[in-house]
Amino acid sequence: MTVIRRSITVGLLVCLGGWHAACAPTKTVRVEDVRVTSVTAADIQKMVHDSGAKAVLVNMWATWCGPCRAEFPDLVSVAHQYQGQGLKVLLVSADVEAELPAVKKFLADRGVEFPAYLKAEKDQAFIDGMGNQWTGALPATFLYDGSGKLRDFWEGEATFSVFTQKVVKVLGEPVKPTGGTP
Amino acid sequence: MKSNSFWTLIVSLSLAGSAFGLTIGDKAPDTAVKMKNVDGKEVSIADVTGKNGTLVIFSCNHCPFAKAWQERIAAIGNSGKDKGVGVIVINSNDPTDYPEDNYAEMQKRAQKLGFTFPYVVDATSDVARAFNATRTPEAFLFDKDGKLVYHGAIDDSQDASAVKDHFLQDAITASTAGQTVANKETKFVGCGIKFRAKT
Repeated sequence: MTVIRRSITVGLLVCLGGWHAACAPTKTVRVEDVRVTSVTAADIQKMVHDSGAKAVLVNMWATWCGPCRAEFPDLVSVAHQYQGQGLKVLLVSADVEAELPAVKKFLADRGVEFPAYLKAEKDQAFIDGMGNQWTGALPATFLYDGSGKLRDFWEGEATFSVFTQKVVKVLGEPVKPTGGTP
Repeated sequence: MKSNSFWTLIVSLSLAGSAFGLTIGDKAPDTAVKMKNVDGKEVSIADVTGKNGTLVIFSCNHCPFAKAWQERIAAIGNSGKDKGVGVIVINSNDPTDYPEDNYAEMQKRAQKLGFTFPYVVDATSDVARAFNATRTPEAFLFDKDGKLVYHGAIDDSQDASAVKDHFLQDAITASTAGQTVANKETKFVGCGIKFRAKT
């Protein structure tokens, strides 16, 4: 309750200031329009490397995870605000497949009109496939640069300002070539 | 390429070690710290140490994953005594934001599930920090010499009827028989521990 109350207070103050993207009204998205694809860690790594984006943010979340739910509006705001500037956001639910309807409703309610994903692999293989820094705790966020290199990683809830600060830092750098003649 | 290698090194160095504090073979930290049990008594990890080992599980009440495994934790915990393995389940979550994790609810949960082992409050979350525990439920099994022989998940499926690998049970069986634990570390998705602010 303390966190929620604090968030609302901060949100109101920021909204009154008139500059926070999270204050923008949530996009209306119908559940039937939400696209969720089952993925393995290898699929995610391929999407990261083939994205063509300047930065790729991968967020692991679940409908049952309180901190995940808390940070989600800020995460979606960051996605909407920076996708035109080269950011790609991959939201990967760790819910079990039977919860897919709940996952879709959650995403629709929060205005996620871009493709989202569902973990379709056993925990051990999935976590190992994402790299040895992730313990499996949710939420977990991976931030890659345009060449597919992991530039930041953290477990736990983040805010709009934290997401923004980290994303802008990666977006602001020139994309490094992955090979071939410079 | 040099630049890429540099970033790989920097990220690796900054991330390695932060995720996995204890390594196999380590002794349990903070064993003397007294924590309030659901029966009102103060209990430490040292107090429950068994002649054949000690099982420490970080768990809680509210997390759906912890709930999914709670009957299995009760069964493994209650059978520990027969195997000479001391068992303690530690709740390190701050109940401020998750009232279901408060002491009264812990007492109800322990009673409902018939815990015969301590279910205690890590009142500062510092025991979890010392273990570098990050999720619930997260198990640490120490052998008769006090060395970590298994760290990770209870088993391989949230759905009890779909379990194929009984990681923790197999580790207990091997360790108490004086054998090497085959699968020493496993990873799983779970609720992050809701740490209290550092004092």
